[in-house]
Amino acid sequence: MLIPRRVKHRKQHHPDRSGAAKGGTALAFGEYGIQALEPAYVTNRQIESARIAMTRHIRRGGKVWINIYPDRPLTKKPAETRMGSGKGSPEWWVANVKPGRILFELSGPPEPLAKEAMRRAMHKLPMKCRFIVREVGD
Amino acid sequence: MAEVRIVAEPRTQFGKGHARRVRMAHKVPAVLYGHGDEPRHFSLPGHDLMMALRHDANALLTLETADGDQLALAKSVVRDPLKGHLEHVDLVAVRKGEKVTVEVAIHLTGAGGPDTLVDQQTMTLTIEADATALPDHVEVSIQGLQPGQKITAGQVTLPSGTTLAQDADHVIVQGLGVQTEEQLEAELAAAEEELGSGQAGAEAHEAEAAAAAGEEPEGESEGDAAGDDDAPKSETSTEE
Repeated sequence: MLIPRRVKHRKQHHPDRSGAAKGGTALAFGEYGIQALEPAYVTNRQIESARIAMTRHIRRGGKVWINIYPDRPLTKKPAETRMGSGKGSPEWWVANVKPGRILFELSGPPEPLAKEAMRRAMHKLPMKCRFIVREVGD
Repeated sequence: MAEVRIVAEPRTQFGKGHARRVRMAHKVPAVLYGHGDEPRHFSLPGHDLMMALRHDANALLTLETADGDQLALAKSVVRDPLKGHLEHVDLVAVRKGEKVTVEVAIHLTGAGGPDTLVDQQTMTLTIEADATALPDHVEVSIQGLQPGQKITAGQVTLPSGTTLAQDADHVIVQGLGVQTEEQLEAELAAAEEELGSGQAGAEAHEAEAAAAAGEEPEGESEGDAAGDDDAPKSETSTEE
């Protein structure tokens, strides 16, 4: 699973969820991709789960790229604790995804197979996404 | 190569407010530059421009301006990442017979050899060609490509009248060996085990995390900066 090796600050503020993606909105490596249509925090477990779902479907016939990285820690206070006493402990690692961002790319398989593989991967993600194909002008 | 005539209205107002009004009227703000002339600003019909650039990024545009016709190529196209409509276009002025450097799409033909994963490293090829005779794509045959083999830019057969305008050693496509079924299964099984496959795995993972929460709140932050402050480590202890 994707986890940063070391970080400067263990606990951070919540990432800003407003706005649209400024970069990473076009396919860079593969022929097919999953594009986010809503903002979301995508955890490292969701990324790994989506990758496994995709790889299980295409088997050996393709190459998968993960374009996002869960580099933001989210904290949580333990259950049934009173307020105060500082910030909770880091609980999840998330990627702050904004609309338009390409999450995964895929190359190798024919389009129907790639579409089905990515549809399965999209079910593991916490926001609306769509399947995109490289166009001539890209 | 496609050649499209487009009526270009001059633009006299600028800024995001005016640009938004132009887009609301189903037009696209554009700028034309080149040949050392002053840049000229236009509004172009959105649908016509979109249709012209849809299948050929290097379509030759003939702009019908107040000063007469002007040939142009799209240099940079800004699209809305979600809706896909054109937001702005940079056009470069060209003349008939002039050589221009453009990027053309690479189309792969044929099929790689058995147990070969075709990895296309570069999607476009930079070539120099006559502005009025630009190819819309370049074909690269990958028939029988084996793992370890690669095709470089210098090995691509270019259409007549075009020359390569990039590093000839640049890799366009290469063949990769595919994993065996056993390797794939082992890799996926290991990944699922780490993830805690299924609901039972997830619950077990949560239970482990809850059990570990007493002494060490986070098991996954072992790679955190060791020298970090975090004096209030006792936040998990119940306070009164």
